[in-house]
Amino acid sequence: MRALRVIDASIVTGALLGLGGVFLVSFGNPVNSGICVSCFMENVAGALQLHDDLRMSYIRPELIGFILGSFLVATKSGRFQVKGGSSPLIRFFMGFFIIVGCAVFIGCPIKMILRLGAGDLTAIAATLGLTFGIWLGVRYIKGGFALDREKALPPMNGLVIPLVALLLLVFLFISPSFVKTGQKGPAAWHAPIFISLFTGLAIGAFAQRSGLCITGGIRNFFLAGERTLLNGVITAFLSALMLSVVLGQFRWGMTAQPASHLNHGWTFLAMVLVGIASVLIDGCPFRQLIKAGQGDVDAGVTTLGMLFGGGLVYSWVLRSTSAGPTFEGKIVVLIGLIFALVVAVAFRKRKLVGQER
Amino acid sequence: MDWLDRLSIAAIAAIAVITIGMLANQALMQRGEENPGEEAKGGKSSYALQMEEDNKLFKEVRAFQEQGHYQEAMAQAKDIMKSYPKKSMPYVYLARLHFKQGELRETIINYRLAVEMEPDYVDERTPLFIGEEIKQIVEEGREKFGREKVLKPEDSQVRNALKDIYYLQSRLAGGCE
Repeated sequence: MRALRVIDASIVTGALLGLGGVFLVSFGNPVNSGICVSCFMENVAGALQLHDDLRMSYIRPELIGFILGSFLVATKSGRFQVKGGSSPLIRFFMGFFIIVGCAVFIGCPIKMILRLGAGDLTAIAATLGLTFGIWLGVRYIKGGFALDREKALPPMNGLVIPLVALLLLVFLFISPSFVKTGQKGPAAWHAPIFISLFTGLAIGAFAQRSGLCITGGIRNFFLAGERTLLNGVITAFLSALMLSVVLGQFRWGMTAQPASHLNHGWTFLAMVLVGIASVLIDGCPFRQLIKAGQGDVDAGVTTLGMLFGGGLVYSWVLRSTSAGPTFEGKIVVLIGLIFALVVAVAFRKRKLVGQER
Repeated sequence: MDWLDRLSIAAIAAIAVITIGMLANQALMQRGEENPGEEAKGGKSSYALQMEEDNKLFKEVRAFQEQGHYQEAMAQAKDIMKSYPKKSMPYVYLARLHFKQGELRETIINYRLAVEMEPDYVDERTPLFIGEEIKQIVEEGREKFGREKVLKPEDSQVRNALKDIYYLQSRLAGGCE
């Protein structure tokens, strides 16, 4: 019965992600980007002037909703457990590299699902890359990889990220002079604030209950043949697909897809980076936000790394456009892969020869 | 809770109230100076200025174009391009002039350069939007170069033309870019 409830929560979260992602486009979010943690991180970074592209500057209420939804449910259900101290700097840079990987593909794993659901066949290379990256990460986990052990921390540590989210919400409403909001480009494409916020809160709340994670679902399947979270991932895809068809957002093909490019090799490699890095730090970008909301300080550090990445992908042009990835983006994807592999190897706890026998 | 805790809490509350008050005051002052939507209005007026300037700058180009003197119009547009290297509008005029002369490949190249320099050309929320015009050319180009690709699959010019077309199609489709 308990297992059934968990499965239900996972499926409900998946359905909310898929439906919410498509509905938010109908309400004004950029096409195929109803929900995209990496794009939205770039938007928030721009709003806070961590980069100066006004077209990508807007405090996305969805991200605030994810964190606060998770926080509210976690505190109400006694799941707000403050812990951290597990290789914080490594997690920070993994967060950074994950965003670079996403920017080279042009989308996080959730957007990858939404793009697939909208008929964008360029996302197939991303799916293969992400899956391969996760499989690779699982090889390291099976081979003894584990970051430093986390420990319980005083509650205040876990409140920082939810408070930052709350502060961003205040900024969104009062628009202080240091917060920039673009009036054109993707920044101008957004659903009404309350619709975005409530969608984010609902998804955040269910994601906290279910533990849904795009990379986690595939990882658990590779690791133990466990399908609970994978069912949520599949539900997200199917619900996005169905609603895209119903709302006329479905456009099958490889070309003429919004914010996409045809450099499939780099898409694959970028998402390998996202896959392996997400497995090594235990969660996709979306899951990091949810965990940050429920008191996981390490996920909070990763979230800050992602925000830092959101700024640098525009300042240093570490991303793709419809013309394909930039040279700088390609180089940083490769450096990210090196970083992830070095960490994976360095943190393997190998059994001694005597112990193996 | 001792006196130090109570003092700290009072100080925190007072500082929080002052901070919120200062932020709210600044927001109110900003709204007083510029009404809500002023940034959008300001944006529009800067668009209006830009369009007015372009209208003056390209007056002769348009005159040549209307008379059917395409070479002269193109020479004039290229002169403007040299004098104003950051302006994207010369590329739009060049694209239109090439199209008038049936040069689809050059038309597409120039539209791509224009969109790369000024994404507002494909942003339907801005007054610079010329997406419908570009879309027609792109559809025509896709048909033409699609056929040519079948006939000459190794032709790099055809492949590059298709790449430019795919780029423009993707930009026209919108999304987070």
